[in-house]
Amino acid sequence: MAVKIRLRRMGQKKAPFYRIIVADSRSPRDGRFIEEIGTYDPSTDPSTFKIDEEAAKKWLANGAQPTEVVGKLFKAAGIEK
Amino acid sequence: MYDTTGAWGRCLLYLFLLKGMAINMEKIFEQALLYDFYGDLLTEHQRQVYESAVFDDMSLGEIASEQGISRQGVHDLIKRCDKILLEYEAKLHLVDRFTKAKQKISQIEALTQGGDKKDSAEALSERLREIRDLTKDLLDTL
Repeated sequence: MAVKIRLRRMGQKKAPFYRIIVADSRSPRDGRFIEEIGTYDPSTDPSTFKIDEEAAKKWLANGAQPTEVVGKLFKAAGIEK
Repeated sequence: MYDTTGAWGRCLLYLFLLKGMAINMEKIFEQALLYDFYGDLLTEHQRQVYESAVFDDMSLGEIASEQGISRQGVHDLIKRCDKILLEYEAKLHLVDRFTKAKQKISQIEALTQGGDKKDSAEALSERLREIRDLTKDLLDTL
């Protein structure tokens, strides 16, 4: 089972806010996810994000694939495989 | 709404300090805002594909197999939607006005808070003057 780490948009219209979630790559749209490992809020100035570092490392070590945007967030947080 | 406080034991809060990076990161945010304002003007099919990319952070390949079109087709469609939405923005400036108004409002909010009882009458009336200027600017952006 391919597992991906991706953003999922939450928040009202005109106030985007994202969760960083771990989900099965085959069911990206049905709302289910395995674990939530952080949040990303671009509407603050500067943007803020929170990441559960331990969980992120655990999932990366288990072969979960971060999307491009999530990869950048991890890099900014200093999380490497 | 979702509670962000204390959800994780060892969470860290980060700030973006590298400007170049922030701009790059926030493309998805810009797309989301444009979509919130002008998304209704896209076709049903465009909306589906664009939402997959911008709300669900799906890759081109994933969207392609979901929609039964080629990866290149998804790429072109998203590019085209970006262009359409930006064209509306260039004519209507709704996102720009919204963002500016939001900034002004948070400045006003900041001015109404953090006051000190020791503030002199002068400092207070200066504050009020700043607030009046901001509300005037705000009205002009509408």
